[in-house]
Amino acid sequence: MRLPRFFGKKRGHRRTGSQAWGSFGEGLFYCVLLVAGLGFAGLLLSGAAAPEWRVNHEFLETPCTIIGKGLARYASQEADSAGSFTNKWQPCLRLRYRVAGALHESWSTALPRSSRADRPTAIAQLAAWRLNDELTCWYDPADPNSVVLERGYNWWLWLLMLLLPGALIVFGGSGLVQAIRVWGKSEEHRAASAGLPEMLDPMDHSPSEAPDHPGVPICDDLINSPGTILRYRLPIESPESWTLLGLGLFAMLWNAVVIVLAVGAGLDLLGGTIDWLLFALLVPFVVVGIASVCVFLRGLILATAVGTTQLEISAHPLRPGEQYDVLLGQGGSGTFRTLTMTLELVEQATFRQGTDTRTEQVVVWKEQVNAWHDIHLVPNARFESRVRIFIPHDAMHSFTSEHNAVNWRIVVHGSPERWPAFSRIFPLIVFPSQIAPLASKERSHRSRQEGVL
Amino acid sequence: MSQSNQALVGSPTVSVHFDHSHRLYEPQARLTVRYSIDGIADDERVRAVELSVLWYTEGKGEEDLGVHFFERMTDRERLPPAVTVGSFVSSLPLSPLSYEGLIVKVRWCVRVRLFFTDGRDFVSEHVFELGEIPPAQTKPDGPAIVSV
Repeated sequence: MRLPRFFGKKRGHRRTGSQAWGSFGEGLFYCVLLVAGLGFAGLLLSGAAAPEWRVNHEFLETPCTIIGKGLARYASQEADSAGSFTNKWQPCLRLRYRVAGALHESWSTALPRSSRADRPTAIAQLAAWRLNDELTCWYDPADPNSVVLERGYNWWLWLLMLLLPGALIVFGGSGLVQAIRVWGKSEEHRAASAGLPEMLDPMDHSPSEAPDHPGVPICDDLINSPGTILRYRLPIESPESWTLLGLGLFAMLWNAVVIVLAVGAGLDLLGGTIDWLLFALLVPFVVVGIASVCVFLRGLILATAVGTTQLEISAHPLRPGEQYDVLLGQGGSGTFRTLTMTLELVEQATFRQGTDTRTEQVVVWKEQVNAWHDIHLVPNARFESRVRIFIPHDAMHSFTSEHNAVNWRIVVHGSPERWPAFSRIFPLIVFPSQIAPLASKERSHRSRQEGVL
Repeated sequence: MSQSNQALVGSPTVSVHFDHSHRLYEPQARLTVRYSIDGIADDERVRAVELSVLWYTEGKGEEDLGVHFFERMTDRERLPPAVTVGSFVSSLPLSPLSYEGLIVKVRWCVRVRLFFTDGRDFVSEHVFELGEIPPAQTKPDGPAIVSV
């Protein structure tokens, strides 16, 4: 018997064999998660949930009399000092009650409104109960000495039981089903299998595809906003907005920490004590906090001061070999030294480098559509210009897969006089050329031949 | 007619014949492939044969894959050594077209994969072109590469 090989040639003609070990390792990992989840759930069920359920459903109700009071002691070892013990005290009552006509006496520790505490607190809790008081208790018919004075559910326990083992069981179970589903299957077989089991793959991030066009991104998000003059208004792609949001969140959280530290230091100062270590820590924290607010405000001003850029287009999706009208609208005030519009084709690849996931973009084709110089903008009257773009007849269509993409876009570059230059990106979707019907192809071929003759 | 025939030492030989010259197909064209499998050692037994037409990406990014046609044969009467030749037909889709980019490449191929009873498999891959997109070219000033 030959063992599977761990490595194989990537392309061409080759023998392969490492897949079996990979699938086995993956399946084992998910199996361990599933078993851990089941074990955890079993422990919680048998140790806490089942006894609680029995108290609420199987214990029998009976009147009882308090005939004694006491404290149960629970010793626990301190974590930081070896050998030292601390005691916790729990109030408990000695109860007398009838079980099938016979008198029974037993201690009950599950008292309403009591918990383990230090000895004085436990004694104070015990004072609320008086000897010879008549109460209602519930006893276990299988073990009449087991008696409680309170019933009900601890909802935190049930939530914990659902969340922690539940997450392990769902993640491990779905992963195991997925591993079993692909066991021994080639990558082509796995890719060809579709349907419900695909939903079990939590790591599947395949992009949405246009109908009948595999690998071409769907363009629903680009045609859901009508234009004022042309048919569609193109959405803007602005990674700067996310950066700005991230900066804002960082500034907010950082300064919240600074405020908490500063309040603590201020209270100490008012109380007449000065914690020099805290003050020394506070200084760099305050500096970073002020810097983060300044950077965020600068980004906010730059993003909002220039004015919005809007693009409208006459049709979408686009096709190679066809022309489209585009309307540029630039708001704001002041003078723009230049405003240029370019049509670009960009390749994007996502890959792993060590433990990092990196994305790289390359502009592989670029054409300047138009350029405007010395534009004077006034508030409430945006600059508008209509231009025409042409998609080359042999251009690659838009393409997207999980880790690779070929994207078309219009980029508007602006150089305002008083503000830094900016670039705004408007994605486009280009479909493959429409296949000419055979009859029209033949007609075209015949007319060409007639032209030659 | 275009033919592809390669073999590794001590491995089976899979020959694939395409019905279009230069293996160039238009979108929605009919792809007819004939294949033959030879050179299987006497001590090896084929458990299954998979035929597929698929696209995959090459380049800087992780590889992505899309299967357009897939057929798995496990019936012993249709497997080597009983049957060593076969053919299949598939209508090609509208996209994605073959593309030779700078960091993203899209390739179409026919794969014939043999599964042996000892658990190993052998795959033979035969590339063809869908569409006629010219390769992306680097301009004299070079492409603008941006890491995001």
